[in-house]
Amino acid sequence: MKHLIYILFISLSITTNAQIDYTKLIIGRNTGLKTFYNGDSTRIFGFAESLGEAIDIPGPTIRITEGDSVMIDFWNVSQGAPHTIHLHGLDVDQQNDGVPALSFTVGHMDHGFYVFKAPHPGTYLYHCHVVSSIHVQAGMYGVMIVEPSSGTNVVWNGGEAFDRDLLLTTSEIDTLWHNPDVLLHDTTMGAMIMVPETFEPQFYLVNGITETNLADPLNHHYVGLNEKVYIRSSNIGYMGVRHIFPSSLLAKTISSDGRPLPTEVSSDTVELHPGERFGTLIQVGTDSIYPITTEFFDLNTQNVMSTQTSYIHTSAASIIDLPEPTISVYPNPSHTGIFHITGDLEQAYHIYDSIGRILQSSQDNTFDLSDQSKGIYIMRYQDRLIKLINY
Amino acid sequence: MIRCLIVALLIISFKSYGAIIDVRLEIKSGTLNLVSGTPIPYKVFTQQSGFPNNSDLLIWEVGDQINLTVVNADSVLHGFTLDSYVSFPSIAVSDSSYQSFTLNNAGVYRYYDPINSPYNEYLGLAGIVHIKNVGDNVPYFYWDVREHQSDWNDTIIQAFNPDLNFYTPDYFTINGNSNPDINNDPTARVVGANGSEFRIVIVNNGLSIHSMHFHGYHFISIADSKYMTGRNKDTFPIYPKDHLVLSCVPDKGGEYPVHDHNLVAVTGGQVYANGIFTTMLIAP
Repeated sequence: MKHLIYILFISLSITTNAQIDYTKLIIGRNTGLKTFYNGDSTRIFGFAESLGEAIDIPGPTIRITEGDSVMIDFWNVSQGAPHTIHLHGLDVDQQNDGVPALSFTVGHMDHGFYVFKAPHPGTYLYHCHVVSSIHVQAGMYGVMIVEPSSGTNVVWNGGEAFDRDLLLTTSEIDTLWHNPDVLLHDTTMGAMIMVPETFEPQFYLVNGITETNLADPLNHHYVGLNEKVYIRSSNIGYMGVRHIFPSSLLAKTISSDGRPLPTEVSSDTVELHPGERFGTLIQVGTDSIYPITTEFFDLNTQNVMSTQTSYIHTSAASIIDLPEPTISVYPNPSHTGIFHITGDLEQAYHIYDSIGRILQSSQDNTFDLSDQSKGIYIMRYQDRLIKLINY
Repeated sequence: MIRCLIVALLIISFKSYGAIIDVRLEIKSGTLNLVSGTPIPYKVFTQQSGFPNNSDLLIWEVGDQINLTVVNADSVLHGFTLDSYVSFPSIAVSDSSYQSFTLNNAGVYRYYDPINSPYNEYLGLAGIVHIKNVGDNVPYFYWDVREHQSDWNDTIIQAFNPDLNFYTPDYFTINGNSNPDINNDPTARVVGANGSEFRIVIVNNGLSIHSMHFHGYHFISIADSKYMTGRNKDTFPIYPKDHLVLSCVPDKGGEYPVHDHNLVAVTGGQVYANGIFTTMLIAP
């Protein structure tokens, strides 16, 4: 019966698909494992784009275009609790808002379809809204970016241009909240669901990583010299966050929550509270490695609980202490996005983007980045690193 | 009963331009029943004969003359301050203070007990005054946002002040209520219509920062004691002792949640979602 309903829904969707400009499959799962810089690991829930992809925190970044009719096909493969997708800040109608009891939930092996028109250009979030205190902490969140209809590298139509954008997504993990007795709560409608007595994170995350992982050159944000960079910061954690940029980057915050600010704010510090997003332009003027300090502060005491440092790294600045690889890649730079490998590949290599997310893992002698944006990528092979330039 | 009292209070508070209004606020001790049913010691400023969940909301108009009497009906020393208008540094037990003043400037103000700050305010001795412009007929809703660490109230009542560095509240309220009771408070529960402006006055009389996230709509801040006004956002932080006035003209009907996006503050006594969570009901 469920299958018949699903087929009927798909049929109806196909008949109306002429109005859908963009469809995105997002899979929700309950069985992820997050490993931290110190070797500790904890169970997470999360989102992925395919069944073969391991879930991670944050979930996949979704980019859509202003004005497009969008359908998120959410497939719950969780083996457990129902989930939803709340489109945070996108001001969708009640039916598509992803709040249980007011919208719909998606059970195990079911699909849910969220249909909306992409609103104002800007940075948004998506997250599960089922027992949100638990499911967001569990890891079910990601960033959604609405790009302007006039092009991808302007902040909004008629607004300032930039060379690239970078994400700073902050959250925390308290592993007590990831114990099975918390994560695997009663899913009966109306059941009393308890959360732990305290929220005392052990891990403070910037783009899903923390501490020494942020210092790893693999996880630096690589930018070009003299580039103007649009920082899209968002805070989906339960603490306040303060990003502090080097003054030489001339940080200027121009937008929040998907709208221009009435007056731009020239300040090295950008403060975000849970659920907020900000857009900040920086200007990279000289070759260097620029630290971005992120303070996490307790909302009850305003005490700083953790300070994390991530790095913006100009492409001409050297990557520190890279061991010599046993393979080589050509052409590098590549203007086609096609790269070839010489040398014996004894195991798989991994290709990362500028915020350290794995794009590909393969043992083939050729890989293709032509569908990726121009810029710097990192190849990791046997703990050795190769900088790739796709121009 | 609470609705009747609120309606009566609103009727008493709304007067024609330049009205003379007698206000007699009593400082009372009692208990606040948390959403779990747990009672905690609490105090309020109130004109009501009973013991409400929250200090009274006072709505006046520019030009009104207020004849204010504050009576200390509690068993310890208190004071009273209405920012920009009144300061009674101390009011002895069973004593009262009086001042008459005329309202010159529209806006949102806090009144509170300045003694033993911020603990007496934490115990409930702080409230909202909204001075409206004459002819301001936009519907307003009022949120006095707070949080409570349930094992602190007894301690403070006994004249021991806990270390604020260890504040870990476990209950979170709007006008003294948590979800699902917030929606039963007509002062707080937003009911509107597509295309018609409404406004929400938010005052943080607690000790924590709150981050209010609105589903369905962006709001424009027309008053903000901390940040620039005119921000068009779906999530607004509000710091202790600060206030916000937010405006919205809904573009669609429906029922949309509003909640603190510090998702710990959506819980109450560790139970989800018994915290700061309410819904806006907008007619199509």
